[in-house]
Amino acid sequence: MLRIRFGKPALGALAGALLLAISACGGGGGGGGDAANTGASGSGAATSDLKVGLAFDIGGRGDKSFNDSAYAGLMRAKDELKAEVKDLSPVGDGSNRGELLRRLAGAGFNPIIGVGFAYAGDVETVAKEYPDVQFAIVDAPSSGPNVTGLTFAEHEGSYLAGVAAALKSKSGHLGFVGGVESDLIRKFEAGFVKGAKDTKPDIKIDSKYLTPDGDFKGFKAPDKGKTAAEKMFEDGADIVYHAAGDSGLGVFQAAAAAGAGKWAIGVDSDQAQTVKDAALQKIIMTSMIKRVDNGVFEFVKSAQGGAKGGKTISYDLKLEGVGLATTGDHISDVQDKVDEAKKKIISGEIKVPDKP
Amino acid sequence: MTATASVASVGARRVRRYHLTLLGIALLIVLLSLVRMLTGDNDLTSSGTFAAALGYAVPIGLAGLGGLWAERAGVVNIGLEGMMVLGTWCAGYAGYLYGPVAALAAGLLGGAIGGLVHAVATVTFGVDHIVSGVAINVLGPGVTRFLSEVLYRDDSAAAELGGGTTTSPTMRGQTPDFSLPLLSDGPDWLKRLEDTHWFVLSDLAGVLGGLTRDVGVLIILAVALVPISYLVLWHTPFGLRLRACGENPHAADSLGVRVYRTKYIAVIISGALAGLGGVFLVFVTTKYVEGQTNGRGFIGLAAMIFGNWRPGMLAGGASLFGYADGLQLRSSQSVTGLFLFGALLLLCYAALRIRRDLTAQVPSGGSRSYTVVAVSALGAAIFFWLWLTVETLPNEFVFITPHVLTLLVLSVAAQRLRMPKADGLRYRRGEER
Repeated sequence: MLRIRFGKPALGALAGALLLAISACGGGGGGGGDAANTGASGSGAATSDLKVGLAFDIGGRGDKSFNDSAYAGLMRAKDELKAEVKDLSPVGDGSNRGELLRRLAGAGFNPIIGVGFAYAGDVETVAKEYPDVQFAIVDAPSSGPNVTGLTFAEHEGSYLAGVAAALKSKSGHLGFVGGVESDLIRKFEAGFVKGAKDTKPDIKIDSKYLTPDGDFKGFKAPDKGKTAAEKMFEDGADIVYHAAGDSGLGVFQAAAAAGAGKWAIGVDSDQAQTVKDAALQKIIMTSMIKRVDNGVFEFVKSAQGGAKGGKTISYDLKLEGVGLATTGDHISDVQDKVDEAKKKIISGEIKVPDKP
Repeated sequence: MTATASVASVGARRVRRYHLTLLGIALLIVLLSLVRMLTGDNDLTSSGTFAAALGYAVPIGLAGLGGLWAERAGVVNIGLEGMMVLGTWCAGYAGYLYGPVAALAAGLLGGAIGGLVHAVATVTFGVDHIVSGVAINVLGPGVTRFLSEVLYRDDSAAAELGGGTTTSPTMRGQTPDFSLPLLSDGPDWLKRLEDTHWFVLSDLAGVLGGLTRDVGVLIILAVALVPISYLVLWHTPFGLRLRACGENPHAADSLGVRVYRTKYIAVIISGALAGLGGVFLVFVTTKYVEGQTNGRGFIGLAAMIFGNWRPGMLAGGASLFGYADGLQLRSSQSVTGLFLFGALLLLCYAALRIRRDLTAQVPSGGSRSYTVVAVSALGAAIFFWLWLTVETLPNEFVFITPHVLTLLVLSVAAQRLRMPKADGLRYRRGEER
C-alpha cells in the first residue's frame, strides 16, 4: 500500500528529472557533437600550439553565408597555420553566447573569435575576465585592450551592388529586403540606395525590414523574406537585394517564382555557389561578398605573431574586404562601370554614407 | 412537448448563428472594400495579401488545433512549440532523403513522439502539465540541434547538398499546388476582376483569388482539419468521451471511459497536428531552417484560447493573425488603412448597440451601456484622427501590428471564455479529488 501511495509520485518526479536530463543533453549535445567533430579533425592537423576558438552567431554553421565564410577563414588558419581549431554554435535564441566564449577561454583557446555584432556585449565582458586571451569580434568595433574589432565596409560593397542593379534593371524599380532593422543592416541599404541613385537618379527602390532591431528572428524567416520580396516583384521591381541571412532564401524563391527577367542579389558569400538549388542559382545576379574569411584568417595570423588587440580593422574595398561576385557572368556587361565606381570609392572621390 | 420545443429552438439558434456569421463576414468585406476605396491602398484586399495571410495562418491554426485536442481531453499542452520543432526537423530530414510524402509522414511522427513524451509525463506520471510542456520546448530545439550536428556534419553527404548545423539540405521533389480552373488559373478571371478595382466585387475576387490560387496540398489538408476536428470532437462517441475526460474525468471513469487511454490518444494527436504545422513550414521554405517555427506554437495556443476552445473561432483567430502579418510584411503603408477600418468597425458596433438598447422594452445594460457606446465612439474618433494625421507609421509600430491587433480583438471579443473544467488538473484513477 505504502509503495503504491509513494511509488507513483516518486516515479513522476523521476520522469520529470529524466526529461530535464535528456533536454540538458540535447542542449549541451551541440557542444558535445562539436567536440567530437572538430576534435577528430583538429588533432590530425595540429602541429603548432596555436589553438583557435570560434563562436558562431545564431544561424550558425551552415547558413551558406556569413557564418560559413568565417568558418572558411578558420579552416584556412587550420591548414596554413597548423592551428588546432574548435567552433561552437549558440542555442536558437542565442542566450548562451557568453557561455560559449567562456567555455573556449577556459579550455585554453587563444585567440577566440566571436562572429557577429550580437557578440559585442559578451566579448567585452569575457575579454575582461580573461585579459591574457586575445579576442576578435566580427562586425563590431574593439571594446578592450585585448579585443580586435573586425568590421567591413558593407556600404561600399552595397554601393557597387546598387550600381550593377541600376544598370541591369529594365523597369527602373529595385527592392531591398533587410533581415533586422539594425544599424549594421541599414548600412547595406544606405550603400545600395546611394549606388543606385548615383547611377540612375530617378530609380525607385522599395525597402522592407522583416523584424525590428533586437529581434534577430528576421535572419531566419525565409517565409517572411518571400512575402516581402513577392510584393516588390508584383509592384514591378525586377531586382531585389537582400541582407537577411537565411531569410534570403525566400527572396530567391520569390524571384524564381516571379518569372523571367527577375533577379535577386545575394549577400555575404557568393550565394550563386553556396545555394545548392539549381533553379535558384540561375536567378542570383551577383552577390555582395563580405570577406569574413580574410578578416578571420588575417586576425589569427597576426595573433600568432604576437599582435595585441585594442584596435579596429576596417576591411573596405581597398583591403578587398568587400566586393561583387561574378559567378554566372550575369554582370560582365556592366563590369566596367562597377570597376569605375570602385576606383572612385577607393580614391575617395565618392563618399558612401553608412546610414540611410 | 418541451423537449421538442427546446430542440427546435436550439436548431433555430444555430441557424441564426450561421446567419450572423455570414452577415459579419459580408460586413467585414464591405468595410474593407470601403477602406480600400478611401485610402486607395489596394493591398488591403489584394489576392497576394490573402495568399500570404493563408500561409501564415495555417501553421498557427494547426498548432491551435493541436492545443484544442489536448486541452479538450484535459491536458494543457504548452509544449506545442517543441513538438512543432521536432516536426520541422523530421520533415526536413525525410524530405531531403525521400521526398515530400516521407516528409509529411516523418513530420507527423516527430510531432507525435513529442506528444507521446508529454502524455507519458503528464498522464502516467502526473507531472505538472506546464513543467512537462516547458521541458519539451527545451527538448525539441536541443534534440534537433544535436541530430543536425550528427547527421549533417561537415564531411557527410548531406553537407555536400547544403546541410549544416542549422539547416537541412533542400527537399527532394516538388509539392503539388492546386488552383481553381478558369477562375484562378489559365484565363484567371478572378485576377482580372481584381485588377479592375471595383467596389466590393474586386475585393471579393481578391479574397477568393488569394485563397484559391496555387494552394498547396497541406493548406487544403489543414483547412479540412478544422471541420474534421469539430465533427470528431462534437459528433462522435469518441469525441464525447474525449471531452468528458477534459470536463470531469472521474465521472467519465465511473461510466466506463478509459480515461488514461483517451488522454494518451488526444495528446499524441495534438503532437502530430503541431508536427503537421512544422511540415507545412518546411514545405514553404523547401528545407528545415533552425528556428523557423518562430514561436508559432505559442501563438497557436493563444489562437485556441481566443477561439474559446472551439475549432471555428480558433481558425478565425489564426486567420486574423495571419492577415495582419501578411499585410504588415507586404506593405507598411496599408497598416495605416487599418486605423480607418478600426474606426468604421467601432462605429458599426456603437450603432448596433444603440439600436439594441432602443428596441429593447426594458433598458438592458443601464448606465454601463452608455459607457460602452461612449467609449467605442471615442475610440472611433481617435482611430479616425490617427488615420487622418499619420502619414507613415514608424517601422517599430508596423512590426507589432499583428500582436496589437490580436490583443485588441482578444480583449473586445473574448470576454466570456470557458475552458474545459478539468483542464490542466492532475488526474489519478480512483483517487479522491
